Amino acid sequence: MADKSKVGMEFPTYTFEVEKGKIAEFALAISQKEDKNQLNPIYVDREAAKKSGYNDIIAPPTFQTCFPLWAAGGLLPLIQALGIDLIRLLHGEEEYYYFGEINPGDIMTGKSKVVEMYEKEKKDKPGKFMDFTVIETEIRNQRGDLVIKTRSTLVER
Amino acid sequence: MTKKIYFDDIKIGDAMPAFASAPITRTNLVRYAGASGDFNPLHHDETFVALFGMQRVIAQGMFIMGITSNAITQWIDNKYLRNFKVRFSGMTEPADLTDFENTKTRATITVTGEVVKKFAEGGENLIQCDITAMDALGSVKLTGSFIAALPSK
Repeated sequence: MADKSKVGMEFPTYTFEVEKGKIAEFALAISQKEDKNQLNPIYVDREAAKKSGYNDIIAPPTFQTCFPLWAAGGLLPLIQALGIDLIRLLHGEEEYYYFGEINPGDIMTGKSKVVEMYEKEKKDKPGKFMDFTVIETEIRNQRGDLVIKTRSTLVER
Repeated sequence: MTKKIYFDDIKIGDAMPAFASAPITRTNLVRYAGASGDFNPLHHDETFVALFGMQRVIAQGMFIMGITSNAITQWIDNKYLRNFKVRFSGMTEPADLTDFENTKTRATITVTGEVVKKFAEGGENLIQCDITAMDALGSVKLTGSFIAALPSK
């Protein structure tokens, strides 16, 4: 069961270096494609991205989901720190605020904090509760610019 | 990639262009696991899910959100996106290759959307579009919205 004393807890800052190949791999995955030539060229071709008004190749809108998973040791340390049982874990909500581009070579730094923990009674099982944990993360690039803010809601059934 | 869209041309009630994914396969889930780093065995190991009485692995919610993002950016350029949020509501099982014709419908994600708001904030002209992702059987996977800042004529 989620430990409600964890509200306000900050997680160790993580750093993730954005590689061109990782952006292409992620774009292929969400596009269900096998070949880079089938992708939106802004994800793989610098010149095409510039022609479309970007500084360089850009990352897809949900790319930042891979930062903590690859840079902060995966999901388990976070779940354990919160006292959540992995088997009962559901991803409830995910929200992104976009302030700038993510380009190859960028060094992204993420700082996450538990901002809310609450419970809701189950509709189908009165007297039984689900625990909600909301984590906000500010992601900045190597210049210190805030690029994305994320808000994730984890649910423990 | 996308057609040039102006704030002036968008009306409340306008529908986002229809989008349908390819039928999701276990190979798609493995590729997404590798790309994202989400190696929860729930999404790729059928012997793991069998421990909990489940017949099949299920897709990562974030994979469905990623597919939904593709639906959005086929219509609105990435650079105009300001906010994108979803609430996950249903699980997605991949198609079985042993019975593809009968199982592809539950694994095909369609994304629809409707412009619900036009407003100005921070010197930008914004639209809010509510979105729904569901399978071809009508089972809802996620609901949410995005906000985009569009250029004016």
